[in-house]
Amino acid sequence: MSDIFLYTLISGIFVAAASGLIGSFLVLRRMTLMSDALSHVALPGIALGVVLHFEPILGGVLALFIGIILIWLIETKTKLATESVTGVLFVTALAIGSLLIPEADLLEAFFGSVQHITLPEIIIQTAIAIAVITIVFALKKRLTLFSIAPDLSASLKLSPAVTQLLLLTLIALTIAIGISFVGVLLISALSIIPAAAARNLAKSFDGFVCASIIIAIISLTGGLLVGNIYSLNPGIMTVLISAACFALSLFKRR
Amino acid sequence: MENMNLLEVNNLSVALDDKTIFENVSFSLKPEEVLAVIGPNGAGKSVLLKTLLGFYEPKNGAITWAPDASYGYLPQRFHVDHYLPMTVEEFLRLKPNPKYSLREVLRMVEIDEHWLGKNLATFSSGQLQKILLAWSIIDQPKVLLFDEPTENVDVVAQESIYDLLHHLQDTLQISIIIVSHDLNIIYRYANQVLCLNHSMTCYGTPKDILTNETLSQLYGNHTYFHHHHIGEEHHH
Repeated sequence: MSDIFLYTLISGIFVAAASGLIGSFLVLRRMTLMSDALSHVALPGIALGVVLHFEPILGGVLALFIGIILIWLIETKTKLATESVTGVLFVTALAIGSLLIPEADLLEAFFGSVQHITLPEIIIQTAIAIAVITIVFALKKRLTLFSIAPDLSASLKLSPAVTQLLLLTLIALTIAIGISFVGVLLISALSIIPAAAARNLAKSFDGFVCASIIIAIISLTGGLLVGNIYSLNPGIMTVLISAACFALSLFKRR
Repeated sequence: MENMNLLEVNNLSVALDDKTIFENVSFSLKPEEVLAVIGPNGAGKSVLLKTLLGFYEPKNGAITWAPDASYGYLPQRFHVDHYLPMTVEEFLRLKPNPKYSLREVLRMVEIDEHWLGKNLATFSSGQLQKILLAWSIIDQPKVLLFDEPTENVDVVAQESIYDLLHHLQDTLQISIIIVSHDLNIIYRYANQVLCLNHSMTCYGTPKDILTNETLSQLYGNHTYFHHHHIGEEHHH
């Protein structure tokens, strides 16, 4: 096992934990499709990084940040139907990104390119993952209440618009750090599938969040190991393992 | 201090999406007072409550809460997703700054302690309302804002909620603003009644307000007083 693979694996544990954690709020708040559409917006940013020779992950973060500001403005300042507008906007972003990115790099951008990950990328990802996890746990009550009962959270003078922006920012960061592992097209699977499986298993909220984190970690580390051993794409393996976890969870559904 | 108003509302008007919901509403709330807001469906009653809570900005007028006036809110609907994995205890612990222990608050709303470990999704709407009541008083508010549900109401459960509210008002000395449709309840419990139909059409004690004349003016010529209009609001 090479050093870089070991670092990737450790980084993966943190990235998966952040994804599983954020995923549980996405599922509760019914934002799973939105986050899936949002992830596509990273592609033009990554393309810029590839074409202009800077770290693609930074381009992805920038593009995602623009994406969430757009969603937030549409939601809070206009009367447009958020769902359809985000659908239109972000599929367009996917098309533009696909046009810009060199064809040789396109598959990696779509399905992950962890084989070519660099140490600086690993460090950036891990740091962001730890930051996301810390913020979510520090603001867990606020985010939870907002996700399950927006009216009650508003009655506590917690601005729904601010909480939504916070949640969107955390989602964008989580998407950005997962892209090198599973790619733009599969990224939402890293957060949504573990949370959906966890919901089938858990009776309590804490149990739900823990299960989601654990399933995400199992899926990603499993995907990396299987991918490494059998020379398969680790992103695709990750999604398949998490899907298998979901299928198993259906049998234990409460 | 005792005679200071907890809440004063002057000439309040609210518009949502440029459509005026109600205009020129003025009233005040004293400590330990029960104010009932009545009016036909779509008259703006829930919007009034939510404006008091700060959900909506007034178009005109002023809402002045006393500096020490804290409030709790029981929304009309508390939808619990069938798959929401959360126990009653976890839900109650989400409320910041609790003043009572969980055990104390459960006793106040007459909930059995073994509910704490059960999943929220397993409760009926009447039971959820009790849990929500526990939620709203756990930080010892001075005012309770209660938006009475209009659909899927279990009448027996509803009666017990009113008994509980009345009991809490006696023991905790809280004020209550209640949006209600049940005029019998209002007659029994309210000190003040405010009629709302896009503007304030009456304001006074139940004895003065609940006359056939003001009621037919407010609701049209239906014999509303004798009926329990459950589930009607749904169709509007």
